[in-house]
Formats: sequence, C-alpha cells, structure tokens
Amino acid sequence: MPRRAFNGRHARALVIGLDGVPHTLLRDYVDRGYLPETKRILDCGFALRRMDASIPDVSSTSWTSFMTGVNPGEHGIYGFMELEPGSYEMRFPNSADIMAPTLWEIIGRTSCGKRSTLCDRFGAAVDSPMRSVVLNIPQTYPATAINGVLTAGFVCPDLRKGTYPDSCYDYLMSIGYVPDVDSARAVEDRDGFIEELFMALEKRRKAFEHFFENEEWDLFIGVITETDRLHHFFFDGARDAAHPLHGTFISFYRKIDEIIGKLFNRFMELTRGEGLFLTMSDHGFSVVEQTVNVNAYLSKEGFLKKDVTRRYFDMIDTGTRAFAMDPSRIYINLECRYPRGSVSEADRTAVVEELKEKLLSINAPDGTPVIRALYEGSELYSGPHAGDGPDLVALAHEGFDLKAGLQQDRVFSKGVFKGMHTQNDAHCIMSKGLEAGDGLHIEDLAGLILDHLTT
Amino acid sequence: MDHLTALENKSIFIIREAYYRFRNIAVLWSIGKDSTTLLWHCRKAFFGKIPFPVLHIDTGYKFPEIYRYRDRYAKEWGLDLIVARNEEKIRSGMGPDKGSKLECCTELKTNALKAAIARHGFKAILLGIRRDEHGIRAKERVFSPRDGDFKWNYEDQPAELWDNYKSTTHEEDHYRIHPILHMTELDVWNYVKREEIPIIELYSSKEGKRYRSIGCQPCCSPIESRARTVDEIIEELTTTKTSERAGRAQDKEDAYTMQKLRSLGYM
Repeated sequence: MPRRAFNGRHARALVIGLDGVPHTLLRDYVDRGYLPETKRILDCGFALRRMDASIPDVSSTSWTSFMTGVNPGEHGIYGFMELEPGSYEMRFPNSADIMAPTLWEIIGRTSCGKRSTLCDRFGAAVDSPMRSVVLNIPQTYPATAINGVLTAGFVCPDLRKGTYPDSCYDYLMSIGYVPDVDSARAVEDRDGFIEELFMALEKRRKAFEHFFENEEWDLFIGVITETDRLHHFFFDGARDAAHPLHGTFISFYRKIDEIIGKLFNRFMELTRGEGLFLTMSDHGFSVVEQTVNVNAYLSKEGFLKKDVTRRYFDMIDTGTRAFAMDPSRIYINLECRYPRGSVSEADRTAVVEELKEKLLSINAPDGTPVIRALYEGSELYSGPHAGDGPDLVALAHEGFDLKAGLQQDRVFSKGVFKGMHTQNDAHCIMSKGLEAGDGLHIEDLAGLILDHLTT
Repeated sequence: MDHLTALENKSIFIIREAYYRFRNIAVLWSIGKDSTTLLWHCRKAFFGKIPFPVLHIDTGYKFPEIYRYRDRYAKEWGLDLIVARNEEKIRSGMGPDKGSKLECCTELKTNALKAAIARHGFKAILLGIRRDEHGIRAKERVFSPRDGDFKWNYEDQPAELWDNYKSTTHEEDHYRIHPILHMTELDVWNYVKREEIPIIELYSSKEGKRYRSIGCQPCCSPIESRARTVDEIIEELTTTKTSERAGRAQDKEDAYTMQKLRSLGYM
C-alpha cells in the first residue's frame, strides 16, 4: 500500500551516511562495476562529488558539522575529548555539548532556544514541525526527546539512554540491534570481527527499513559506521587484489550498495521522484604508512614537559608551552587557561609562530615532509565557541596518521591500524541539479536539506 | 525522639519487615560506612545476632584494609559471612585494565551477585544505598523489585505510602530492600559517631588525602582532606559542595568511551 506523503508533501529528504567512505574509492568501485545500484543511481541524474570534511577530520566533529550545518566555532565540538575548563582533566563531550541546533531540532521545532546562523536562516521557514528518523549518527548520545525517533551512534555506552522514544528501543532490542562492533578484537580475532561487521550492517539494514516503512517522517538519516571500522584496520585491502580481505571488502561494499539501492527505489516511489536523496561521508580514508605522534615531537622540540608520575593529560607539567589532543589539535599552554600554564597571553603569537615553523619542518626518516597544511584556530572557526578551539590544527600528507596520545616517546611509529582519515576526500552523491560551484563542504549539506524541506 | 534515633527506628522496622516477609534474605556488606551502618542496624534489630547471612562480593581488587576489617568483625560480631567471587573471571585475569571498566564491574560484581542469589535462593537482598548518593537513586523504593535479569524499571514501581511495602512479585524476581535509603551521608557519619561504629582507616586523612567512598582499589581515588577523625569528617561534610562519589574513577560511561576510543587508536 503506498504511503501517504507526510504533510501532503513530497518534499521529503533521505540521507544515507557512510562513515569514512572516500570519494576516490567509491568512484573506483563504481567504475570497476562492483556497485551496480550506485551506478544505476549515478546514471539517472545523480553525481558523485568529492567533499571536504571538517577540520579536524574526526567523526565527532565532522558529523556535528553535518547535522548542525555550522562550523565548530558555533557547534562547539572539536573532538571526542576535551579538557575540563581550567584543568587537565579529560572529559568526553556528548550530544548535550552540541551548542547549535541540529537539523531535526530545527525542523522539529525542538531546538529549545539554541541558535545558529543556519537556524536563523531557515527557522522561520518551518511553518509546522516536521518529523525525523535519525539512526546511528555519531555524537548524538544521549538521545533527547525529538520530534521523531533517534538512536545514537558512536559513542553509545547505553542503548536505552541512546534511543528515543522507548518504543524505538524496544524494537531495536527485539532485533538484537548493536550500536557498535567490538573493534578491540579486530587484530586478535580478525574473522570474528569481520563476521561482527556483517552482522552489525545487517542490523542497520533491518532498522533502516523498519523505520523507513513504519514511521511518519519528513527527514530520514541513517548512518552506516561499519565502513569506518573496516577501513581503520584493513584499508590496505581496499584496492590490493592480493590482500586476503580484498574480496571481503568488495562484498561488504556490495551489501551496502544493495541497501542504498533498495532505499533509493522506495524513496523515489514514495516521493514521486521529487524527494531529496543524498549519500555522504564524514571524511575519507587512505592507507597509513606511519603514525606520527605529535606530542612526542612537541616533547622532542622542548614545547612539552611531562611528569610521568601523573596520568593522562595531568602529565602536562610546568614549563609546557604547547600540547596536542587527538587527532592533531594543538593548544598553547596559556597561563590564563590551564593550572600549570606557562605561556602569557602576550607571548602566545610568538609561540604559535615558532610552532608553525617547527611543525612544517617535520620530515619522515626518508626526508618526506609530513605536514600538508597548518591552520590557526582563528582561520578556521568563527562563532560564540571559537575561543574553545585549538590554537593550531595540522593536516598531514596521505600516509602520515597524526595522533596525540601522551604515552609514545617516539615521533614515528607503526601501529595496528592500516587506514587513516583524510580531510579532502569525503564523498557526496546528490542530484546533479544541486551542483553549485566548486568546493563542496560537509557544512553545506544541512542548508541544502533545509532548503528542500522548507520550499 | 531525636533525629538519629528516628532514622534508626525506621531502618530497623524495614529490616524486621523484610525478614518477616521473606525469611530467606541476606544483607550485602561492602565494608564501606553505609553498609556497615546497615549491618549495625541489623544487629540491633535482632539483639546482636543477625539471623541471616551477610554477603560480601569480593572482586579480588578490594583494598587490603577492607579484607582485614571484614575478617576481624565477621568474627567479633558472629556473622554468617558468605564471600561471593566470580572465580572463573578472576582467574582469567579480568580487571579494569583488561576489558572495559563496565565489563569488569559486570563480571566481578553483578554476575558474582547473580550467582550468589541463585545458589542460595535468596528472595531479597538488603542494601545500604542512600537517596542522596546519586540522582537516579532518588527514584528508588525501599522495597524495590528486580526481574530475573536484575533490571530495575524505575517507571514501574509500587507506590510506598504510609510505610506500606509491596512484597509479592513474579517467581523469578527478587527484591532489593533499602533500609537506610532515607539517611544522608552526614546522617551516616553522625550515627557512626554516636554509636561508635568502628570505621575502616581509609576514610581518615593520611598525608592530606582520604577516601570518601570506597570500593575496588584501582577504581577509587582519594579526595584532598585533612579530616582524620569522625568529628573532623562531619565538620568537613557540613561545609563541602563536591559530591560524594567524585572520588570514584571516571564514571562507567567515560570508561566505556575511553576504551572505545582506544580501540580505534585514539588516546
């Protein structure tokens, strides 16, 4: 039985998020004929476009930029971890720390007074509240009451708290839904891990199709995060036909292709071809050659002093001028900001300049330069929370994975990870009619979606 | 009647009600100040000899002071002590650094308790939790039903007006009984003082630090404090604004998050 279009409109939007799926790989797989459904979509008026992710290109920041349509200076999420104000104690920001309203809060009229430039642009155009289905977007835990249903993606410590409403939780439990796979076993138990990835993907499919058919919605966003996990551990198998998991890679992508194809067909049928269909990713991926431990480098160059008798970021000792947090956010240890701050506000610029020079001169043991680009916080961020951001963010050339743990003493190391995030190779599949200029950025998508839903 | 006596009377009433209605019960003793206060009430309720077992969940990670205290007073007070351990997991090296902290707690505490309840067929367990400990505990009942999976549905609990406690439930369920739910942290210390209950030395300040809440050694950290005697602790509590469980290592969600981030190469 055909469903009635909600609010009598066909102006609905379907977004399929594919965590960490690069534009280049998707292009490649489509060209090689591995993804027939995606190919079919591209043949009927859709374009596969390269897209820039947020900086830093970490999932929590990038997904928040997607769902709020604004930069971290407005939404306030710079990574998975922050330090408590005036302290070196770690905290993990969650959905309550997102300072700008999300897409579903804007269209559902549940933004509770939160404002953003995007909300100011479109808020008034939402004449009656619209419903959303939001499945598995990272950084949405804990779930808040929304106009629709939501189950949180990574990190989701408690599925009940991560899901709204309870009936949605009950359904998810009934199908044995999992918010994440156990990545800790990826190396020790490769086959078990792969099996779990396929299992989790199957649960996503089931949940997507269930809510697609059984909920009333104007905006549907479903995210697959298993791609990111597969990539982190086995991205070297994505193109290498001799890799033992190359075949697995292709069949995993083919399964995703089927999910996309099926949802696309149903969606076009429901909206008589007028709905807004998007697939997108929060960053790209490339193969890791070496891990570059930014804090080890800062220590070596005398910027960072550690007291190893303390734990985590409390190790930062007096005399530290700068330190880094994952993946490559660099903070000046300002007197006015941290308990053992050692740089006065007046000296800040000089330290930033010195850091830039040092960082740009990091070379791998074979002489290749590591840093591709270096940005000051003020160049990247604007808005009420711009001041909470890092002083500098580094982006590396492909192959160099920047990390900011405090344990490593060697600048270059090799870990178990075979894939690393890339900032300039996220993807988006969108209607050709939507192409507007060059340089698509993840923050642009929310505006396109709101524009579609409100006209 | 003074305040502390009123609180004590209420606890003793609940303990006797629980014993009368269920018979096959046990009191959970973590050796902290709250469960020791509860134990004290149990002793008073039955004139010195507790007619049911005292259950200690031993994770193997408790402070050495806890074991010493437990063994000394179990003997002195003539307790029928049952020590429950998840031997299999302890032997396999489960710990807060091995799996996640959440996993460690689930295996070594929750599952050890589940096994003990099943083995001894307890119908109800007395626990020394207090309403003021944590937001979610404010929703607790004195007689709190749990299902076979230990799940507590706080939105579906019997009303408890005028001290009427509901004690019938499905076959597989058991009850958690909370006789000191109505006491605050400060009440407990005032009561400890009045009754001269022996208190484990971890609560007293040593080199400027003391434990305000005790559990497993790896997951507890002391707070800054100069309070060495019960009087000084009471004095400190009347002026402090930080929460009692602030000294416990990062809460379980943070621990889970950290483990997840590590598994993807962060931190």
